[in-house]
Amino acid sequence: MTSRTDAPEGFLSIRSLTKRYGDFVAVDTLDLEVPKGELVAFLGPSGCGKTTSLRMIAGLVPATSGRIVVGGSDLTEVATHRRDMGLVFQSYALFPHMSVARNVAFGLEMRKVDKGEIARRVKEAIALVHLTGKEEHRPGQLSGGQQQRVALARALVIRPSILLLDEPLSNLDAKLRDEMRNEIRDIQKRLGITAIFVTHDQVEALTMCDKVVVMNQGRLEQLGTPVELYEAPKTAFVASFVGRSNRLTAVARNGAAEFAGQRIAAPAGLEGPVQVMIRPHRLGLSPASPAATDPARQQVTGTVARAIFAGDILQYDVDVGGQIVSVELATRGGESVIEPGRPVTLSWRPQDIFVYGAAA
Amino acid sequence: MSAVAPAAAMAAPMPAAERSSGLPLVVLLLLPIALVNAFGFLAPVFNLLRMSFYESQATGAMVEVYTLATWISVLRDSFYAELILNSILVSLGITLMTLVCSYPIALYLHRSSGTWRTILLVLVISPLLTSAVVRTYGWVAILSENGLVNNALGAIGIAPLKLMFNKTGVVIGLTEILMPYMILALLAGFGRLDPRVEEAASTLGAPPWKVFRHIVVPLTLPGIALGSLLCFVLAVSSFITPKLLGGGRVFLLATEIYDQAIVTLNWPLAATLSILVLVIFGGALVLYTRALRAIM
Amino acid sequence: MDERPISPALKILAGAMFVFLLAPLIVVVPISFSGDSYMMFPPSSWSTKWYPAIFADGKMVSAFWTSLLLAFVVTVLSLLIGLPAAYALVRLKPRGAEFLSSLFTAPLLLPTIVLGLAILIVFSGYGLLATFQGLVAAHLVVTLPYAIRVLSTALATLPIPVEEAAATLGASPLTVFRRVTLPMMRSGIVGTTALCFLVSFDEVVLSLFMTGPRISTLPVAMYHRVEQQADPLVAALSVLLVVLTLVVVLVVDRTSGLAKTFVK
Repeated sequence: MTSRTDAPEGFLSIRSLTKRYGDFVAVDTLDLEVPKGELVAFLGPSGCGKTTSLRMIAGLVPATSGRIVVGGSDLTEVATHRRDMGLVFQSYALFPHMSVARNVAFGLEMRKVDKGEIARRVKEAIALVHLTGKEEHRPGQLSGGQQQRVALARALVIRPSILLLDEPLSNLDAKLRDEMRNEIRDIQKRLGITAIFVTHDQVEALTMCDKVVVMNQGRLEQLGTPVELYEAPKTAFVASFVGRSNRLTAVARNGAAEFAGQRIAAPAGLEGPVQVMIRPHRLGLSPASPAATDPARQQVTGTVARAIFAGDILQYDVDVGGQIVSVELATRGGESVIEPGRPVTLSWRPQDIFVYGAAA
Repeated sequence: MSAVAPAAAMAAPMPAAERSSGLPLVVLLLLPIALVNAFGFLAPVFNLLRMSFYESQATGAMVEVYTLATWISVLRDSFYAELILNSILVSLGITLMTLVCSYPIALYLHRSSGTWRTILLVLVISPLLTSAVVRTYGWVAILSENGLVNNALGAIGIAPLKLMFNKTGVVIGLTEILMPYMILALLAGFGRLDPRVEEAASTLGAPPWKVFRHIVVPLTLPGIALGSLLCFVLAVSSFITPKLLGGGRVFLLATEIYDQAIVTLNWPLAATLSILVLVIFGGALVLYTRALRAIM
Repeated sequence: MDERPISPALKILAGAMFVFLLAPLIVVVPISFSGDSYMMFPPSSWSTKWYPAIFADGKMVSAFWTSLLLAFVVTVLSLLIGLPAAYALVRLKPRGAEFLSSLFTAPLLLPTIVLGLAILIVFSGYGLLATFQGLVAAHLVVTLPYAIRVLSTALATLPIPVEEAAATLGASPLTVFRRVTLPMMRSGIVGTTALCFLVSFDEVVLSLFMTGPRISTLPVAMYHRVEQQADPLVAALSVLLVVLTLVVVLVVDRTSGLAKTFVK
């Protein structure tokens, strides 16, 4: 039996890492263990401290307090150039005055690897990112996607202990982004390299990474696998940031929240106003008043406020006791749209609804 | 009056206004500046070229006879050969010193921001807008026998140094006077210097001085080239500072031109030397273009 | 937070170079309060006698008024000549506009010592040496290129649709220029005025060729004074000139942004 919360000491171990700029706390006592070979995402809105954390790991920003340990050695005070980490920048940060091959060779030259070895490894790395033939091009002559690949090859060729990726896909167009997403994941798995992936895009975090760290206002909100984050968000922030959720208000009393006459199990200790979250597509909707009640589902009644047919889905905004609840139903063909003003019944499985304290 | 008239009037004004007033508007607007340019620039420069082929006489009078005499005497006389070489070498030295002194300021300015940067920029630009006479006078106060440096040295028991009325003084003074030009040229060329690129180099294992040598310097070469060209050209042609800090003991092309023109009144010789200055400029420009092509 | 931290080594180096750069401007301040009759640093005694001494020196005072009037006339003429020329070059785009604007800014490329000599030779033939008109003409040769450059940039960056909008609302071309174009060029005009004024007021080399016993400008008078006797009077005068320059720079910064005007 393994417990997630008491993870064994990882390959990368971050302990109480903190960064302050004057009174502003950019990263607040971050603790994290990353096992070897895992791809971990730092997910959060801009300004949440994810990039600052990454830059502290790389040594580009000095930590105010806390430790960064890799493979048992403490790197907190070690200068960037001695940390042996490959960083892929959001803007790629390729050396504009050097060819692709020279860009990729740079890290090896700094390590005084011998010439023949450099040539061999550069060739290999360029082949890995499918840029063979572009060796002598300057970065300015390459497309955004190609520059991204050079940046990746340049970071990987030094065989870094950890690969750090800072929003590497945000400057690419949608189609290229999907392609690179798979490619980065494949390469990372094939090389078995430990990697940190900073992103504000939950789709990237969920689809690519073994684990996701959700950050907000400098704090770690939740660490977990994509499934855990989606199915069991620990905080209201995670529930709304990972996937979409209806955010409703209710009042908790004696371990249960009451929402539109329906009692919902609430975590112990919650009293007074609370937030209730449920994902729009986890709601069922049926016309008219409750008919045959499914004992496994809870239900409330409301009135359709707006109905939108969007092709794949049929979206209803339902007024339930003065609050608007969004419902999304996959279209199967042949259904008739329920007109606004008509009464409907909403239903859900108890495990799909989350209750959080009203703060924040 | 037919209904056509107003329509025609509406359509007409643009071209008609220009054609009706005898001279086109463009010519009228450009005439004053063209006159100043012709009278104050083109005519004097062509006249200067012509002048270098005039014959001069010991009395200072000129004879309007075309001759290569001045050119031949300048090119043969070892005094002028030395003067030219001296001017070029001193100017190169000044350019190098200016570059070394300006680079840290430019890099610092490039990396600073906000109000602090504006204040520093004012400090860089203000000397540029202050007369060279004032700044050279300041150097007299620092470098002369009774100046700051020698009095400070005297206070700790070191014999005074000869810092003025020689090349040392001229080089120090001109270096400082040309620094703002170099700083602004460097700053203009620092646009390619992206802090992320420097960070990338250090994550790849480059220690700070290697980042500087392999990334910062190559990326700022265009600015270095431009600033050096500018400072060299200004050093070759400056003469206020060499005059005051050289005290007539440092012979450079520019001071010689002034002496020949104002003191000796040998205009053909002054004209010939002026054209040599322009030739040196041309040479510097060719070198600059070549260097730029090699860098880019 | 996003800036690259400045290393202490660079801070120290840049600081030292700033001291070097500003040293000659700074030392004149204590010297101007010297009680000595010749220049010496540090002064052996202190006094404020050199400031009133400036105003008692007839040569300096008349040179100052000449310089002030000269800079004023040159600035006004530079605007009057430069503005129509810039408008013609940028907006009316005659054939060869690019050639013309490089021709009009070419005097800046010529070293002033060469330009000074060339102008000296030609102007001597017209009896313009050591005259106010001669000085005005010589200064215009170097201020007009600055005026053309700054005004052209200012005009080229103006949004034309705003002028077109004014025209569709019934403004005649002259009204459009007066009521729309000119006000929008304000920062360019302020920059030009400051630049032309300072260039003319500080100009030494051309003036040295053009002045004589009859007429002298302030920088030329100071040059001759330093050449003969570098006494604290020049320091006091220098302090006044540095203050004047700072005032102009600050006015420009307030009205149109320093970086925008000078760093292009």
